[in-house]
Amino acid sequence: MSETENTTNKHLDEMKLLLYVERQLDRESAQEVSLHTQTCDRCLTLLRALDRESRLLTRSLLEQDEPLPARLAEFQEKVRTSMQWIWGVVFGMALLGIYALYAGYIEPWEQQVEQAGFNGTNLLSLLVFQGAFWKGWQSMFTLIEFVALASFAGFAFFLGRKYLKRGTALAVMFASMGLLLMTPGRAAAIESRHGEAVTVAKDEKIKGDLLLNGQRVRMEGDVDGDLIVFSQDVEIQGHVTGDVLGAGQTFRISGIVDGNVRVAANTLTVSGTVGHNLSGWAQHLALEGSGKVQKSVWAFCQLLALDGQVGGDLLAYTQSTTISGTVGGSVDGRGESLSISSSAQIDGSTKFVGEKPPDVASRAKLASPVDYTKLQHRSRMERGSGFSIWSIIWATAYLLFGLVLLSLLPQFSKEAATNVEHVGASFGLGVLVGFAVPIAAVIACVTVVGLFVGLSALFLWYASLYFAQIIVGTAVGQWILGKTNEFWPLVGRMAVGVLLLRVGMAIPYVGFWFKLGVIVWGVGALSLAMYRRLQPAMAPKIPSMPSGPVGTPLPSNTTVGSA
Amino acid sequence: MDLIVQARAGDTQAWGDLYREYAPAIFRFCRRALPSKEDAEDATMEIFMKLRDKLAQYDPSRSFSAWLYKVAANHCWDMLRRRKARHDKDMDDVDELPLETPEPNQLERLIEERTGEEVRKALDMLGARARMALVMRYYSDMSYDEIADALGVRRPFVGVVLLRARHELRQALGENSPLAVGGTR
Repeated sequence: MSETENTTNKHLDEMKLLLYVERQLDRESAQEVSLHTQTCDRCLTLLRALDRESRLLTRSLLEQDEPLPARLAEFQEKVRTSMQWIWGVVFGMALLGIYALYAGYIEPWEQQVEQAGFNGTNLLSLLVFQGAFWKGWQSMFTLIEFVALASFAGFAFFLGRKYLKRGTALAVMFASMGLLLMTPGRAAAIESRHGEAVTVAKDEKIKGDLLLNGQRVRMEGDVDGDLIVFSQDVEIQGHVTGDVLGAGQTFRISGIVDGNVRVAANTLTVSGTVGHNLSGWAQHLALEGSGKVQKSVWAFCQLLALDGQVGGDLLAYTQSTTISGTVGGSVDGRGESLSISSSAQIDGSTKFVGEKPPDVASRAKLASPVDYTKLQHRSRMERGSGFSIWSIIWATAYLLFGLVLLSLLPQFSKEAATNVEHVGASFGLGVLVGFAVPIAAVIACVTVVGLFVGLSALFLWYASLYFAQIIVGTAVGQWILGKTNEFWPLVGRMAVGVLLLRVGMAIPYVGFWFKLGVIVWGVGALSLAMYRRLQPAMAPKIPSMPSGPVGTPLPSNTTVGSA
Repeated sequence: MDLIVQARAGDTQAWGDLYREYAPAIFRFCRRALPSKEDAEDATMEIFMKLRDKLAQYDPSRSFSAWLYKVAANHCWDMLRRRKARHDKDMDDVDELPLETPEPNQLERLIEERTGEEVRKALDMLGARARMALVMRYYSDMSYDEIADALGVRRPFVGVVLLRARHELRQALGENSPLAVGGTR
C-alpha cells in the first residue's frame, strides 16, 4: 500500500472539520484535527476552504445592500404607542357596544320578558334567552350587524384616541365591564341521571335541581327544584316545583309544573298544568283540552293547536294556529293562517299578521274583533329610498368592518385573500364548513355543556359569513388593481372589491345566488387560512443523533469519512 | 442599557430610539431569513410590537442584541412554520441522503469566484430551515444552543443542519460546476 493511499484512508470527515472551524469540538477531538492537518494537505485545504466559506457567508449576510424601507421608517411612530392600548380601546368599545345593544334593544323587551317568566338579569341569560332564543335567528343577524357598527365605532375611537386621555378611556371601559358583568347567576349543585332509559319513580322525591339525559325519560316522581331534560322521548307525569327546561323529539307533560316550561322538541304536548309560562319551539305544539297554562304561552312552531286554557297572553309565531280553548289575555299571532273555532274564548284583544285572513267561527267568544294585517312581501324596489339609504349605510359599514379586520388581522386577512385564488379548495371547504358548522353547533346546543359552545360557534360562523365577503372583495380588488402588501392600498382594493360584490348582490334574482357563491368561496378561503394556522408544528425529520457532547461519533450518513 | 431601562419603563422616546438603533439590523435579519421583502417588513414590525411585551423578560446581564436576534429568529421561524414553508426539499427526504465531501480545491475555487450578492441570491433558493440556520449562525452569530432552541432540534444536530445548508448553498452557487452534485470523493 502506497503512502498516498495510507494518508487518504485517514482523511477526516467534513463534519468534524466544520465543527473544528466552528470551535465546537472538545479539546481531545480538536487536538486530533490539529495534528492531522499538520500532515494531511487535503484535509488542511478543506479546513481552510470551510473557514473561508464561513467568512464569505458572514460578509455576504452582513452587507448592507438595501436601506430600511419607508414603511418601516414610518412604523417608528407606531412603535411609540402601545398596541395594548389599541386593543384596550377596541375591547372597551365592544363592551360599550354591547351595553348600547342592551339599552337600545334588550331593555325595552325586559318587561315583556319578565311577564313571560324570565327574571334573570345577568348578561348571559339576556343574550341567550332574549337575543338568540326569543327573537329567533333574526336577532342573531341584528347582533352581528351591531357588531359591525361597534367595530366602526371602535375604529372611529381608534382614530381619535390621541385626543383622549388613556385614563378616561380605561375608566369607561372598566365601568362598562362592571355594569355588564356585575350580576352573575347563582351557582347550585345539580343531581343528574343518565342512561338509555331513565326513570324517576312515582314515590321518589328529589330535593334540588335534576338533570335527566337518556334515550327515554319518564318522570313520575316529585322534583323540588328545576328539571332539565334531554332525551328522544320525554314524559313528565310527576310534579316539578321549579322550571322545566329541555329538548327532545317527543315531549309530553301530563303532570304538574309549578314554574315555567321552556322546551325545544319535534312534538310538544301539554295535557297537564303549567304554573307559570310555556315557551315552545316545536314542529307541532299542542295544549290539549285538559292542559292549563296559568300565564302566557309563547309558541314558535309550524303547527299550534290550543285546546286547553291559557291564563295570560298568547304569542304565536307559527305557520298555522288553531285556537279552540280559552285565552285569558290577548292573542298576538303571526304566520300563514289562524283559525279560531266555535269553542274558543279570548278575553283580550286579538291581533294577527298573516297571509290569509283569520278563519273565525261565528260562535267563538272574542272580546274584540280580530285586528288583521295582511303580510306584505315587498320587493327591494318597492321599499323605496329608505332601502337605498340603508344599502349605503350597510355598504359603508361593510367597508369599515373590513378596515378594522385588515388592521387587526393583517397577516391572516392577506393569507385568506390569497387562498381565494385556490378556487377549488376554497369552494369545497366552504361548502363543508358553511353547512357543517351550523349543524354541528345546533347539535352541540342540545347538551347543557355544549350550549354555550354551540351558540358561540353559531355566532362565529355567522360573523365569518360577513368576513368572507370582505376577503373575497379584497381578492377581487387585487385582481383588478394589482397585488399589494401595503395597508392603505390593500384597504382601497378591498373597498373596490366589496363595492363590486355589493353591486352583484343587488341584481334581482341572480343576486342571491351570487351572494351565496361569494360567501361559500370566502368561508372556504377563511377556513383554509385557519386550517393552515392550526396545523401542528411538525417535527423535522432528523436522523438520530447521539445524545452525548459534541465531538462524539456522528451518524454515518452525514459524512463520507475517508475514501 | 439606559435606553432599554427607559423603554422598559414605558418611555416612548426611548422606544423610538431603540427602534431607530435596532430596526435596520432586524430588518436585514428578516430579509435574509424570509422569502420576500414584504414578509421581512411585516416581520420586523411584528417583532418590535412583540418586543413591548417581551422586554420585561429580558435579562440585562446578557447582550441585548443577542437576545433581540433570538426573539427575531423565533418569530421568523414561527412564521415560516405556520406557512409550512419548511415543507420543502430539505425537510423531507433529503435529510436521509448521505453528504459527499467536496473536493477541497474545487470548493476553494467556488468560494473565491463568488460575490456577496451571488451568495445572497443563492440563499433565496435554499430551503427554509437551511436558510434560517445559516442566517442565525453567520449573520447574528447565534450559538449552537440558541440555534437548536430556535429550530427545535437537538443541539448535536445543529452541526448537521449547518453542513447540509452549506451543501445546498454550494449547489445553488455552482449550478454547473461539479460541486453541484456533491463534488468528488
